[in-house]
Amino acid sequence: MQKEMENGKVKKSGINGGENGKEEEVETPTNITIKGILALLMATIDSSSSSIDNKKRTISLGMGDPTAYTCFHTTAVAEDAVVDTLRSQKFNGYSPTVGLPQTRKAIAEYLSRNLPYKLSPDDVYVTAGCTQAIEVSLSILARPGANILVPRPGFPIYELCAAFRNLEVRHVDLIPEKGWEVDLNLVDALVDHNTVAMVIINPGNPCGNVYSYQHLKKIAETAKRHKILVIADEVYGHLAFGRNPFVPMGIFGSIAPVLTLGSLSKRWIVPGWRLGWFVTTDPNSTFKTPKVVERIKKYFDICGGPATFIQAAVPRILEQCEEVFFKRTISILKQTSDTCCDRIKEIPSMTCPHKPQGSMALMVKLNCSELKDISDDIDFCFKLAKEESVILLPGLTVGLKNWVRITFAVEPSSLDEALERVKSFCHRHSSIQQKS
Amino acid sequence: MEKNGVKSWNFKGHEDLITASQFSIKGVVNKLKQNLNPSDDQSRPVISLGHGDPSFFSCFPHSAQDAVLHSLRSAQFNGFPQNSGVLQARRSVAEYLSRDLPNNLSSNDVYLTAGAKQAIEVVLAVLARPGANILLPRPRYPMYEAHATFSHLEVRHFDILPEKGWEIDLNGLEALADDNTVAMVLVNPGNPCGNVFTYDHLQQVAETAKKLGILVIADEVYGHLAFGVNPFVQMGVFGSIVPVLTLGSLSKRWMVPGWRLGWIALSDPSGILEKYGIVECIKSYLSITSYPATFIQGAVPEILEKTTEDFYSKTIHLLREAADVCYDKLEQIPCISCPHKPEGSLFVMVKLDLSLLEDINDDMEFCIELAKEESVIIVPGFTVGLRNWLRITFAAERLSLEDGLARIKAFHFRHAKKQIL
Repeated sequence: MQKEMENGKVKKSGINGGENGKEEEVETPTNITIKGILALLMATIDSSSSSIDNKKRTISLGMGDPTAYTCFHTTAVAEDAVVDTLRSQKFNGYSPTVGLPQTRKAIAEYLSRNLPYKLSPDDVYVTAGCTQAIEVSLSILARPGANILVPRPGFPIYELCAAFRNLEVRHVDLIPEKGWEVDLNLVDALVDHNTVAMVIINPGNPCGNVYSYQHLKKIAETAKRHKILVIADEVYGHLAFGRNPFVPMGIFGSIAPVLTLGSLSKRWIVPGWRLGWFVTTDPNSTFKTPKVVERIKKYFDICGGPATFIQAAVPRILEQCEEVFFKRTISILKQTSDTCCDRIKEIPSMTCPHKPQGSMALMVKLNCSELKDISDDIDFCFKLAKEESVILLPGLTVGLKNWVRITFAVEPSSLDEALERVKSFCHRHSSIQQKS
Repeated sequence: MEKNGVKSWNFKGHEDLITASQFSIKGVVNKLKQNLNPSDDQSRPVISLGHGDPSFFSCFPHSAQDAVLHSLRSAQFNGFPQNSGVLQARRSVAEYLSRDLPNNLSSNDVYLTAGAKQAIEVVLAVLARPGANILLPRPRYPMYEAHATFSHLEVRHFDILPEKGWEIDLNGLEALADDNTVAMVLVNPGNPCGNVFTYDHLQQVAETAKKLGILVIADEVYGHLAFGVNPFVQMGVFGSIVPVLTLGSLSKRWMVPGWRLGWIALSDPSGILEKYGIVECIKSYLSITSYPATFIQGAVPEILEKTTEDFYSKTIHLLREAADVCYDKLEQIPCISCPHKPEGSLFVMVKLDLSLLEDINDDMEFCIELAKEESVIIVPGFTVGLRNWLRITFAAERLSLEDGLARIKAFHFRHAKKQIL
């Protein structure tokens, strides 16, 4: 059985044998996107042969987009703020390419609350979601021969964007037994004089880790030692519900310059609004020399940005920071992450090495040897989709073969049902004699 | 990297970006603004006739605003859309464009982008390959040069001719093309020239492009904003002669550039773009880049279906009036000549006769001094590829437009060479 994937052109063979009956190696694809894989998994469900009556409703634990569930709904304040700025008719025109001044100021103040120094509005550039902030970071650092360090498992947009900008990518492993901390010895080994930056994602996607103050400090010191900057992807900022509080990397900006990336998408549950930021948290101006600042501004001149009236709503959204809403979100995420871990414990062929402490996803290891006729994570996910109408993300997409990423930002009862189906799937495919 | 034993930091900024962005009109306009006199004698307001932002026009589509409000309040569009855009939005753009095309477009032919600016970025990135070149008009819209440079696409300029109503010099264009030419760009209605191409001319362009084996990128961001003799004709009409990538957006016709809602539409009934891998590339690029806010996408069907003819005709009427006023007033300024009365978009290109002016040596100097002395901003022609010309926007409040042009006239007389009697 073969499956050819649209973007990645990856040929996969089942245990039944691929072409010529040989097992084919699965390349780590550089052009597979999460959305691409999820679309293929969806298509498998749609084309499955079960009759309408037998067809279960599809439950996707594949993507970090909780907006499909009513329990995850943005605040009335956020919605009203945007309605008002739209109605005012003052914001239908172009904004300055770096963002509206009031928006930059509001984001600077919001982030400064948790920093030992004050950010200036000039440190803040408003982007169309964190995706564009990633694009900006990589684009301004790219130069012939340069390389950046990205985490594995990680977020594939970094690889894709780097490839596009001719930036070489070197992978730094995160250590599951150590709460997915960054393998700093490996960083030392990988860095050379062409390395320009290292990326950290905290709170972590896909692993759900929240790094301790000490670990982040060590990262900063490592970066300083190697004279590289840190790109801190904090798109899940403040979504921490475990033991470690969320610590912004910018705190260590005086040790090594930090570029902080973030957005409204996760904390306010509005990924579709495309409102993010790229911030130079670099109090010693090591990176943000006038020349570099000029270049950043010029890059924004040729980019499209977020809608002006959404930008204009940001000050109100950030200032009226609703603790009740935030606590509620955290509480649901804690509950669902607990459920997830508990259920996975009941499934022999799956292990979760580190309970998630934040963000919206966790990584689970598959024990394929305990599953008959399942060859790897991709096979697992496609068969699961087909038989149970449940979508999980194959770990290969995020850099770890034979793992799966499970999103728990899902309404509790749907999560329960989905995991129940996963359990029954594993049971059905188990190669171990199960006690009844 | 070691320097005197002290290791300097490894990173620095990307060089190409400086080159790419020196083309930005915004950059030049900012420079002009720096020259404004803060203590203008008569405490006059600054009049900017330099931008392409129609959003201040009083005639505003409330139905578009309502559509977005509905979409936002529905809470159905807070999440991620599919890669190419919300399906209903793509479908309605396809239907909207198909109204004036011989072949119907489907939703698969439409990709949504954050404004036409991002559409330009996508299309050029997709076409770039080592050694390739692209044909761009001069005078130009500098965003093309910027993105071509950034994507390492070589740029070659063909002329559009003032004495021929700004038509394309097709012989010149043919001479420029070679085996590495991938595409040509045309802007219709034109920015900066304010021209509207005829059906016949566009057909000739299509046939020329076909002969050369290149595709046509038709920038129709000012689509339907044609108020002169020539009606607006979509380049997609000739999609069966040559593959056409049409770029458009809500920004100009609905006066909401700040909403960032644009599109790339493929007019290619023969499926050539698909065959040559262009479609796959566009999809791939869109999967790694950002996109317009989902709830604005969600409002597109309502906007496109419910905006009234009344709104469209009012806009055209206002633009026609403004263009007339502009043209008439410009005629009264001796150092400025207008070779072709504007018939579309928001701009007009006019020629400066420097021989009539004392101590002004070029277009940039003209604009700087004008900003300083009269608090009026217009765009010097070198930014769009025509040195010693000027680009003027007539899409301004009537009184501001008249005032601005009066000030330019005063500026002329203050700087006019004294006649030797």
